[in-house]
Amino acid sequence: MAHAHVNKRSAAIHESAIVRWLLTLAALGFLTLFLLVPLALVFAQGLAKGVVEYWNALKEPDAFSAIKLTLLAAGIAVPANLIFGIAAAWAIAKFQFAGKQLLVTLIDLPFTVSPVISGLIYVLLFGLQGWLGPWLDEHELQVIFAVPGIVLATVFVTFPFVARELIPLMEQQGTDEEEAAILLGASGLRTFFRVTLPNIKWGLLYGVILCNARAMGEFGAVSVVSGHIRGMTNTIPLHVEILYNEYNFAAAFACASLLAFLALITLVLKSVVEWRTQVEPNSKSAQQPDQIETEGLPV
Amino acid sequence: MSIVVNNITKEFGNFVALRDVSLEIPSGGLMALLGPSGSGKTTLLRIIAGLEVPNAGSIVIDGEDISTQSARDRSVGFVFQHYALFKHMSVFENVAFGLRVRPRTTRPAKSEIQDRVMTLLKLVQLEHMAHRYPSQLSGGQRQRVALSRALAVEPKVLLLDEPFGALDAKVRKELRRWLRRLHDELHVTSVFVTHDQEEALEVADQIVVMSQGRIEQVGSPEEVYHHPATPFVYHFLGDVNLFHVRYEDGAMVVTEHNGHSGNGHAKDAGVGFVRPHGFEITRLAESDKAIPARIVHINAAGPYVKLELAGEQGGLFQVSVTQETYKGLALKRSDDVFVTPREVRVFEHDYAI
Repeated sequence: MAHAHVNKRSAAIHESAIVRWLLTLAALGFLTLFLLVPLALVFAQGLAKGVVEYWNALKEPDAFSAIKLTLLAAGIAVPANLIFGIAAAWAIAKFQFAGKQLLVTLIDLPFTVSPVISGLIYVLLFGLQGWLGPWLDEHELQVIFAVPGIVLATVFVTFPFVARELIPLMEQQGTDEEEAAILLGASGLRTFFRVTLPNIKWGLLYGVILCNARAMGEFGAVSVVSGHIRGMTNTIPLHVEILYNEYNFAAAFACASLLAFLALITLVLKSVVEWRTQVEPNSKSAQQPDQIETEGLPV
Repeated sequence: MSIVVNNITKEFGNFVALRDVSLEIPSGGLMALLGPSGSGKTTLLRIIAGLEVPNAGSIVIDGEDISTQSARDRSVGFVFQHYALFKHMSVFENVAFGLRVRPRTTRPAKSEIQDRVMTLLKLVQLEHMAHRYPSQLSGGQRQRVALSRALAVEPKVLLLDEPFGALDAKVRKELRRWLRRLHDELHVTSVFVTHDQEEALEVADQIVVMSQGRIEQVGSPEEVYHHPATPFVYHFLGDVNLFHVRYEDGAMVVTEHNGHSGNGHAKDAGVGFVRPHGFEITRLAESDKAIPARIVHINAAGPYVKLELAGEQGGLFQVSVTQETYKGLALKRSDDVFVTPREVRVFEHDYAI
């Protein structure tokens, strides 16, 4: 009886079994076709000529230099945007000031501008014909078609990730805990490290993971400022493109598989962090609060 | 240690939160700042703590002008409405925080911190919860941890911002009696903010009633309840009925209030305030002061019977009578009765609600 009742009710708010299966199949089919198959193909093509060729493609000097440059660009962009992101989120979430809305809009700018355009902006600024070009040339500084340009472009496109992740989190947490710490005599720095940072650590890590993935995978902006000099200004995505255009498919896919690996690792890390963020508040409350509130309080 | 508030004014943009407020809180006192939301009570508390900067005025604690000191240096204990416990620290660590962040020269030794924290946790009866995290505690327990954390740094004064506001009714009642007793033991000058008049009347030895950034009245619970200085205080502390009051041949005539303040009538003396228990209720008009009314609702649960009466002009008033009177008159719904205001407090100026 009870079962029949439950089934009847669930039927009223759910689709029939066939529809559910069809919808699930459609979603899975779509995912397989557009995500899993290409991903598998990357690895299959990379390994098409065997493990030795795969390995050679990676340790070949140009590829190796591309890997180094990618790591360097990400190694500068991620810490830079980590510091900027925390500072911006802190300012936006915890203080009221004039121009706050403008700052929020500016942080979103890299999301709204096409990466190619952002690369072009740097060319217009620092290129030989650009505003600062002649001055840089005089002082023998090269930004465009050199490592500094690549780092700048990477920093620009990954600018919003950390800040965007932290602002809603910090806004939701409010300023009570920080105020409490200050009133207990803690300095600003101490308050930040002992109170604010522990409260945002998982959100921060999430932002850093996304920021890093984008920094390593960025193509458009970097492509414009790089100049594609082999062994000098090529990052992994640019190196992949060159190899592909040279019909060196096995090597191209071998290098591409590195980025695919990175994506997979990012996904795993992201899931772990998401799981931790959800579990965190609950894990410590596994024990229920005492039912008798003022137990032992002589009233 | 005493707190003196001198001519504090605070504006948020166009909104004036406090207008030239001055107040003296005696050493060892337990004072309530009572008022509706937006009356400036929390702002005043935060200014005393140093969390807000006033536009004008000064704060003196224990004879020392601390207006220019930062919140960090004021050594005030502060308890937040939503506890503001450090989520990722155990109860013990929360209470120890204020001692641990001290500069090395004034920081107590580890064993001393341990002793002091445990003593405080014993005081709030939570010593067996020292290793739990805030999320494992109930609201009342959290607030007790917050209180011992504030007391750990031996503050000059203790400030509490709606400390029981987030708790349910029963816990709130227990906790506020407990706070009263704790204060009697510790004698630390305390100020707490509340919008609950019952809470203020029960806990505080002095009440500051605030409205729209001004202090309406300062006095003992008895004074503010029985001798309200302004219509606002009368209205804010307990239920009240409004009547028209005018004088005819020197005698006060009380008539039903029609909802409008009585300007225009030269003979109007003002608005009369009558508490629900300030009425005589009779079956027959025993004097010409009796006002005819019909019973529209009866709530007989509790020590007093609460009646809702509708006057001839449609005005509603709340009357409470003892159970004996209620039974003696055998009152029923839709009965026509007469009410005679016994204690009318007249405020000469018009007071519109």
